Amino acid sequence: MKVTATDRAARIVEQVRATRSGRLTITIGTGCCESTAPFLYEDFWPGPDQEVVGRIGDVEVFAPDYLRKLYPGEEGAVVDVDEDYVAESLSIETELGCRLVLRGPGFEARESSACASEPTRVPAVLVGELPEHLRGLRIR
Amino acid sequence: MADVQLFINGEFTDAVSGETFPSIDPATGQEWARVAKGGREDAIRAIEAARTAFDEGPWPKMSGKERAEKLNQIAEGIGKAQQQIAENEVHDGGGTMRKAMLADVPGAQATFQWFAQCAETLPEITSLEGSPFPPSENYVRREPYGVTTGVIPWNFPLLMAGWKIAPSIAAGNCCVIKPASFTSVTAIDLARVIQEADLPPGVVNVVPGPGGSVGEELASNPMVDKTAFTGSTEVGRRIMQLASGTVKAVTLELGGKSANIVLDDADLDVAAAGVLWGTFMHNGQVCESGTRALVHRAIYDEFLSMLVDRAGKMAIGNPLDFGTDLGPLVSRQQVETVERYVAIGKDEGATLVCGGTKPETLPDGLDRDAFYNPTIFAGVDNTSRLAQEEIFGPVLSVIPIDNDDQAVRIANDSIYGLGGGVWSADVDRAKAVAHGMRTGTVWINDYHLIDAKRPFGGYKQSGIGRELGTFGYDAYRQVKHVHVNPQAGRDGHVHYQMLSANI
Repeated sequence: MKVTATDRAARIVEQVRATRSGRLTITIGTGCCESTAPFLYEDFWPGPDQEVVGRIGDVEVFAPDYLRKLYPGEEGAVVDVDEDYVAESLSIETELGCRLVLRGPGFEARESSACASEPTRVPAVLVGELPEHLRGLRIR
Repeated sequence: MADVQLFINGEFTDAVSGETFPSIDPATGQEWARVAKGGREDAIRAIEAARTAFDEGPWPKMSGKERAEKLNQIAEGIGKAQQQIAENEVHDGGGTMRKAMLADVPGAQATFQWFAQCAETLPEITSLEGSPFPPSENYVRREPYGVTTGVIPWNFPLLMAGWKIAPSIAAGNCCVIKPASFTSVTAIDLARVIQEADLPPGVVNVVPGPGGSVGEELASNPMVDKTAFTGSTEVGRRIMQLASGTVKAVTLELGGKSANIVLDDADLDVAAAGVLWGTFMHNGQVCESGTRALVHRAIYDEFLSMLVDRAGKMAIGNPLDFGTDLGPLVSRQQVETVERYVAIGKDEGATLVCGGTKPETLPDGLDRDAFYNPTIFAGVDNTSRLAQEEIFGPVLSVIPIDNDDQAVRIANDSIYGLGGGVWSADVDRAKAVAHGMRTGTVWINDYHLIDAKRPFGGYKQSGIGRELGTFGYDAYRQVKHVHVNPQAGRDGHVHYQMLSANI
């Protein structure tokens, strides 16, 4: 696995550096609502199965063993950034209102933000009602 | 001023910075609410409020019965506001009204009711019989931790807020919650209900804001005694690290890539519906979704046809329409993630048999970029990225199996172990398979049913500890052993002489 970064992502990492005194690290991790994504942390302890798979400036990028196997060789992933985006995560760049994201092989880094196209109008009213036979049911 | 403010020390307030952020309705792509953007200072003042409420306030000293009354009041308040909360949930996080009305709202209500029952009925003190040091008596007293914090995800915002708040306060703790930034509104709706129930100030605090500041503070602040998190495995690892600085108790409910095993004797009609339900409920944005269908080769072709045929019949559209099966995902970014994995699946050689695109047409006013067709890949290799990485979207990987043992091996070949299903006409056979699966919950001939009275959590990298059930209640209670020597004289203290007869 080899991870590189877009210039935009590198600039975000540099901006974060100005706000934090500790050692910055990026780790590639997975799961739940984040799917597979980069996480920028201060004073992070990489796990025993994590190895360096790239650098953004002097910030090391780590990935665990199972992910390195899923992304073998040099066909690397690219760390990019979604701007104007209130993403969930403990990744530090969320303080800046953006989120580092991972582009897989074959994916071009986007030049525009995810919400660039024109928004549409709001359908604001409820349509119909909860079917009679489902009332009183709950699945949680 | 924000439409949606922070809730700290019993009052609604703007962020110290005065900053706000938009909540985008994914169905339309439009901002529909503006939320106060809490920062580290706000997190600290919320933690301080909770600390004061715990150390100096009445809440931890109240009886379980008294606390239960308040929790039941909150449950009633949720019920009264259910329609509005459900609509807000849909605007904030997508999904459908059916999901909001059948899962989020009643689930949150049931959670408060269950933990009220725990507070009222589960004993605070348990006697320990047979003391090895007679005539001493021993008992265990369950006590609240103190201040607990919770960071919650965007897929079930109200419900997850309930999972973190209800057991905490039922046990006598005071808490601070950070909702997900996509979906902060209904946690604040819940705060409003809590305010109306007239809990003492500081018992519950809700601080929307970035994880990098608010979340980090909630997990690391020395005034916090326990932290709980639902979300990604990587953030869970980070929370453990941050919590370790002051050795906080931690509960984590993390990612999943659960296997839904269909054996060759299953009722295929029910199982096909069940596999689709297990995968596509809330567009697969559910941590325990059964996104790997392990299907016995003897029924594979027939079963796959049933899946494809039925997946194409689900109605995608306006989430506010009770007739809609699949609404928008939580955001356009989430759709991009799904698209990325669909491309990966094709590259890896899996066969796309259904979906793989955004819907061609949608009712006027809906943002096509936030919707995605239910997608099925056949012939998936379990070692592929498609089968190993959690997509958190409407993508099902179908994997052929030859026998029960192989099914268990493949099911367990994952870093996760959160949910799972087994479909068979032979319940004993299904149980044998279920018992071999290293996962926190297995449904036999069903899926996705979670109840406040039953434990939920993960094996392996799907988490630590359990939420819900009595396990989830005890996760918010410390264990204090009290040793009582009723004999005041020297005769009852001969053991001192192990040190010296001269003391």
